Amino acid sequence: MTTQPLETPIAAAPRPPRQKSRFNGGRVGLWVFVGIACFLSLVPFYLMFVWATLPSEKIFAVPPNLWFGNAFVENLQKMMEATNNMALRQFWNSLYIATLSTVTTLFFCSLAGFAFAMYDFKGKQYLFGFILITMLIPPLVMDIPSFLVMNNFLKWIGTPRTLWVPGMANAFGIFLMRQYIVSALPKSLIEAARLDGASEFGIYTRVVLPLIRPILATLGVVTFVGSWNNFKGALIMRLSEDSTMTLPLSLRKITGGASNVNADWGATLMMVVLTVIPLLIIFLFASRQVISGLTSGAVKD
Amino acid sequence: MQECVPLPTSPPRRRWSYDRFQQRFAPYIFTSPFFILFLIFGLFPLGFSLFLAFHLWNPLDGLGNWRYVGWENFQLALGAPDQFWVSLKNTVWIGLLSGVPQHLVALPLAFVINQALRRYQGAISTILFLPYITNAVAITIVFGMLYSENLGLLNYALSVVGLGPVRWLAVPDLVPVSVAVVVFWRYVGWNVILYLSGLQAISEDVYEAATVDGASNVQKFFYITLPLLRPMMFYAFTLTIVGNMQLFEEPFIMTGQGGGSGGTALTSAMHIYNVAFRDLDMGYSSAMAWLLFLAIFVLSMINNYLFSRGGGRS
Amino acid sequence: MKKIATFALVSALLASTAHAQEKITLTVAAFPSLDSAIKAIIPAWNKKYPNVTIKLQAQEFADHHNAMTTALATGQGLPDVMAVEIGYVGKFAEGRGLEDLNKAPYNAAQYKKLFTPFTVAQATSSDQRFIAMPTDIGPGTFLYRKDILDKAGVNPATMMKDWDSYIAAGKIIKAKTGAALINTAQGIYGVMSRTNLKPGEGIYFDSKNNLLVGPDNARFLRAFTLSKQVRDAGLDAKIGEWSNEWYDAFKKGTVATQFSGAWLTGALQNWMAPDTKGLWRVQNLPEGGYALWGGTFYAIPSAAKNKAMAWEFIKFMTTDKSSQITAFTDNGAFPALLTAQNDGIFNKGVPFLGEQKARALWRDAARKTQPIDVNKYDSVADQIVNTELTNVLEQGKDIKQALSDARAQILRRAR
Repeated sequence: MTTQPLETPIAAAPRPPRQKSRFNGGRVGLWVFVGIACFLSLVPFYLMFVWATLPSEKIFAVPPNLWFGNAFVENLQKMMEATNNMALRQFWNSLYIATLSTVTTLFFCSLAGFAFAMYDFKGKQYLFGFILITMLIPPLVMDIPSFLVMNNFLKWIGTPRTLWVPGMANAFGIFLMRQYIVSALPKSLIEAARLDGASEFGIYTRVVLPLIRPILATLGVVTFVGSWNNFKGALIMRLSEDSTMTLPLSLRKITGGASNVNADWGATLMMVVLTVIPLLIIFLFASRQVISGLTSGAVKD
Repeated sequence: MQECVPLPTSPPRRRWSYDRFQQRFAPYIFTSPFFILFLIFGLFPLGFSLFLAFHLWNPLDGLGNWRYVGWENFQLALGAPDQFWVSLKNTVWIGLLSGVPQHLVALPLAFVINQALRRYQGAISTILFLPYITNAVAITIVFGMLYSENLGLLNYALSVVGLGPVRWLAVPDLVPVSVAVVVFWRYVGWNVILYLSGLQAISEDVYEAATVDGASNVQKFFYITLPLLRPMMFYAFTLTIVGNMQLFEEPFIMTGQGGGSGGTALTSAMHIYNVAFRDLDMGYSSAMAWLLFLAIFVLSMINNYLFSRGGGRS
Repeated sequence: MKKIATFALVSALLASTAHAQEKITLTVAAFPSLDSAIKAIIPAWNKKYPNVTIKLQAQEFADHHNAMTTALATGQGLPDVMAVEIGYVGKFAEGRGLEDLNKAPYNAAQYKKLFTPFTVAQATSSDQRFIAMPTDIGPGTFLYRKDILDKAGVNPATMMKDWDSYIAAGKIIKAKTGAALINTAQGIYGVMSRTNLKPGEGIYFDSKNNLLVGPDNARFLRAFTLSKQVRDAGLDAKIGEWSNEWYDAFKKGTVATQFSGAWLTGALQNWMAPDTKGLWRVQNLPEGGYALWGGTFYAIPSAAKNKAMAWEFIKFMTTDKSSQITAFTDNGAFPALLTAQNDGIFNKGVPFLGEQKARALWRDAARKTQPIDVNKYDSVADQIVNTELTNVLEQGKDIKQALSDARAQILRRAR
């Protein structure tokens, strides 16, 4: 069963009973439709957990095994072996990068979003428009030159910084923050704080931050998930030692296909689970705010 | 959090001018991190890749050892038998295969949840949203196992009904479908959430009035929901177009560098990556990256045009 | 005062010991399964060089080479020792980022005669720089399931006389045992494109950079035609290499033969199908062909920090007989070092191959293999030709048309 907060609907607008009864006829059909969708969403997750507990030779079997086995510990050991006992270190690397990335993104994006939402200043339209345009640039264009910058100018290659610093203040985050602050915070609140003698930064920390918690949760989770899942970045920035790897990279290494002699399904599936679990936990805790926050900023303009 | 206590007041005159100063410059300081970061991590890379698009450069020759070739890289990519066209065709095809059903399923799903299952909306949307947040590498491995020809669950299920086995990742025409299914699976929930939020912005009164007029649910969907949902549809379509046109991780991990049997899942993003890192032709790769950017831009504009034109009618 | 004195003393001591031992960390970048061979050799290395710690960076095969490419492009962030697979050595040789081992202090010319001759040619650039030392090679070989062939009454020697008898035997095997001849018809092309090259030819280009692929090239025409014959006769299992189906077919014996490098035997016995021990045998390729199937080199980036120690490491890996044998026994990496090929192990039977003296057979094949000219556009050509072959096999595209389409596409890219 799901956790408590999920039971509460996003917008608890009770429908008039008259309307409700109109749907009763097709209600079974609706449930079947929605039920299938939910079922299909969950099946791959179920399977990866089941497989992670099965011995390697039973993961692929005809007929398939669809219930949990008892090879959990064995697969855990195999995974540790396949990663030279670095799996937990790699888990920490991913966590470290994702956390720093999230904290800094929340700070810089909300600060800039606040500025764009609440101030009138020269060049504001152009600056904001510019930020929006940068969102269209495919990151692909930047792969090689980014490596050059990190390597030749900053000498950061192989360090976690390469993954969290460039995105600290990103266009998507600023846009989301600005949209939310515009619709959620009245300008009068800022004026009042200013009359009380608060500094501009003080207004941000004491007035704005507490009021934008829902969207902070949203951006926080989206950023965390994005950073946690960043495969190509880690690949290009060469976090390539067993001790500096992030989980997606390590996962790719141990399932290396063509040239990998150690490809063991038990170890692989255990790593898949290790990669997915934190995402599930974080999301289940914050899903309500994430979903509502993600969509609240998007439509209003 | 009522902590907006005034700071201890200092002599009024100095205070006033400092206030002016910090009020004036605060927005610039607050927004500056983006521009500083862009200057370091964005502007140079962009300029450099534009520069490379007009040069022939094997990265192993080192910095500086490039040769100006004018528009040759672009001509190469746009010439008839080039793989860039093939990859673009593959990209669009996988994009359509995953994108169109995504919206065709997400829209009614959101409508149904919003109309009839509101009480369970939180739980349902959480479940549907889960695929979106998963790790692409991890989930592609799981799907790869499902597709396995002799050992996969999918073919087993088919064999129970007396069908198959289907060579999901071996028949050239099927590979794009198999990849598209993963993409579809990952993003349906995302679109449901977008549409749900759009639906919630539609006032109840409109539906009430329609009900009074005796409109059926199907009529309501087509005459009320769809027109009022246009802004959100535009937003969701745009995200799908931009995302699908840059598809990389799913086909890359599922089919390998070459795009699977017959190279039918070789997307443009993969081709650009291969040309840069495997074939070491940075100029050609950069040129294609910019062409892809242009293609995305044009498609977004077409999308924009279709929506604004249709918008006049409704 | 006392504290400060103690502190000074301790730090002085620390400094002096550090000096005496001169701790060095050597970074080695490799890919699986080479990393496993390196790990197996590290204990011996540490005995000889107790102060040199090996820091192993292993990434997935393609990821490793992509990472090395980026690092070479910028000349920084490079390891001290870089493993390079044969598919990349030609490209890396033409670049400027790797040390020329002909020159002092390496003076590698003296070592060249120690290696299987064609490997030296492969690691030599067009302007005669020698950029990498060979560590293992992949003599092409033909693996077959003796039990299946026996059951079908097929003689492996007559079967391998020429391609027509190979296909004829395949039909008998299919009829009598139900097993497929080969995993995929594309495998036929794989062998034929690698064998019977004329002097000065590479797989796709000749030594003067002329493209060989085309409807008029007999080698490609025949390779495509025979592949299609095998597919049309229903003799292949339509299974791609390195897939779960492939491993499964080996385990269950649903495919009777396989062309590959000798190293595949190591993979089969270690993890792919250990239970089929004793059922396999090997033979040379059909029509007296010899082919090269894989191989690995070690290079030193010019920007490496510890070049002297890197060179010691490479010599230890490539010119030390016992290192080479350790790698061979660890995962079947066939030694490039000629003296290692005279080790007693070569006269012993291979248990996995029913005590067949396969290693001597491979050594013989390796010595008869001609150098293949490598070209920096090989990877481009490889992908395009294989895509066209799939079109022929899966969609019935005309062979000549496919080859001329492939030719046109490659010509555009090879500038």
